[in-house]
Amino acid sequence: MTAAAINVVGLSKWFGDFLALDDIALTVPRGCSTVLCGPSGSGKSTLLRCLNGLESWEEGEVVMSGRPVGHRPRDLVALRRRVGMVFQDFNLFPHLDALSNVALPPRVNLGLARAEAEAEAEMLLAQVGLADFARKYPAQLSGGQKQRVAIARALAMQPEVLLFDEPTSALDPESIGEVLDVMISLADAGRTMVVVTHEMGFARRVCHEVVFMCAGRVAECCPPERFFAEPETERARAFLAQVQY
Amino acid sequence: MTLSTIPSRLPPEASRTGISSGLRGMASESPVSLILWLALALGAAWILPGLVSWALLDATWVAEDRSGCDPSGACWAFIVNRLPQFGFGFFPPQERWRAAVALAWPVVALAIALGPAFRGRSGLVAGALAAYPVGATLVLWGEPLGLPGVGTAQWGGMTMTVYVGTVAFVLAFPVGLVLALGRRSSLPALRVLSTVFIEVWRGLPLIAVLFISVVMVPFLLPPGTELPRLALALVGITLYTSSYLAEVFRGGLQSLGKGQAEAAAALGFTYWTAQGYILIPQAIRAVIPGILNTVVALFKDTTYVLVVGLFDFLNIVNAAVADPHWLGLANEGYIFVGIVYWSFCFLLSRVSARIEWDMARGAAREART
Repeated sequence: MTAAAINVVGLSKWFGDFLALDDIALTVPRGCSTVLCGPSGSGKSTLLRCLNGLESWEEGEVVMSGRPVGHRPRDLVALRRRVGMVFQDFNLFPHLDALSNVALPPRVNLGLARAEAEAEAEMLLAQVGLADFARKYPAQLSGGQKQRVAIARALAMQPEVLLFDEPTSALDPESIGEVLDVMISLADAGRTMVVVTHEMGFARRVCHEVVFMCAGRVAECCPPERFFAEPETERARAFLAQVQY
Repeated sequence: MTLSTIPSRLPPEASRTGISSGLRGMASESPVSLILWLALALGAAWILPGLVSWALLDATWVAEDRSGCDPSGACWAFIVNRLPQFGFGFFPPQERWRAAVALAWPVVALAIALGPAFRGRSGLVAGALAAYPVGATLVLWGEPLGLPGVGTAQWGGMTMTVYVGTVAFVLAFPVGLVLALGRRSSLPALRVLSTVFIEVWRGLPLIAVLFISVVMVPFLLPPGTELPRLALALVGITLYTSSYLAEVFRGGLQSLGKGQAEAAAALGFTYWTAQGYILIPQAIRAVIPGILNTVVALFKDTTYVLVVGLFDFLNIVNAAVADPHWLGLANEGYIFVGIVYWSFCFLLSRVSARIEWDMARGAAREART
């Protein structure tokens, strides 16, 4: 049996005295996409950020492909080279054009030659529908285009797992569709993805599992069909009524 | 009207700018503004005729000494006679070309920065400046290159001013960066050390720093080691400037959102590669005006090397003004000093404006290709 891409065991995290994550258990099988949802403040973004070590945690373990993740800076760098992340507000590097945004990380961090990295970057930009935008700077791109460059940039590191932190929350309605299309094609191609989102349409359509979080705990964890048809908890029912308004 | 004609509409006549509309605008200006214009014109009419006849019409450009000058006009002959000394200090005449090289080096670099853009320009300018401390020292000193040695006591004039200013800036730049990173470090010891260092040097007057470096540093060196005063003064000015630059850089690093560091970390950059490729380049761009501001201040402050017995541009003119052959020409001397200092600082401010303009335009130019 192959190990799951990510295994979270008994993970707890405090911000000061506030218990942000309470004894979380989560398994993301390889090739599957998982949606993390829940009311704001429920800890879903914090949990996601633990998965690539942007947040530290006090108790428990994150196991990537069978190996527990350490806390030393060296371990975290190694972890992040295998786990890509897409942010809510894109965080493209504004001093680099789109092509360099995508080509620089593998050049510096994977030791790719410049020509090789740029050829790969061009291919990835074409994959997200931005072949003609390689020489544009982030300031010249729309929100949806920026987010697609950010996805291409994350893919350039050839990650085993892709994390999305509310990737469409900062976008206008027209741009949301173009970003979701890219994400759907990635999920369909068998990428391992963990997505924090309020886009329940995306969850219903592509994800293999929905994890509903509430007050730092995993309240429900089930396939989308069941989650949307018959949520078990009262809190999840209230949440769904709100987001599907 | 069709939709497609809308973008070609021009703004109403009155809001367009230009000389003719500016003149027409004069008539509609407020009384206060008109009075100010009038006062300016009167002031100019009062000062300019006398100034022009003194500085240009009645001026003497060639003379052997003071007595050869027309007393009703400026005696520029004094400046012309002393120009080699003002420029190159006490450098032996047959070796002056070396002082000229050291003087022209940064000026040419700045001129390239102001000139037309070409591929690799910024790299060339940065490389020329980075090579200056070692390169200019070798050219001026001469001995290691097999040229006749010229001791630092013979260096002086504008060459000294430009040499001290450029060397101190080039050396202080990396030191300032390291201090800025240190002050933002997550390691408490490093943070405290950088903060103390910055605050100590920034909190002292430059004159005190120069005295400390020239008087006290030799005590710290092993006995028998002799360093020229210029080298000691350079150490002091470099530390002083680096503490100022550190705060400028820190401002730039602070202005970057937390997201940039997180995005870099999430892509597997280490602390140092994230700083080098992502954060520092953006921080420096954000604070170019602050950096150039520090450089202008540094350039003018170099004149304090007087207190440790070095003859920079201002001090050598000051000494020349006391020459018995050219007594009473302080006006000419200090006007010349003022014009030269101002020109250098103006050149620096143009370079700053040009870099900002290039960066703003760079994105637009890239977009068209």
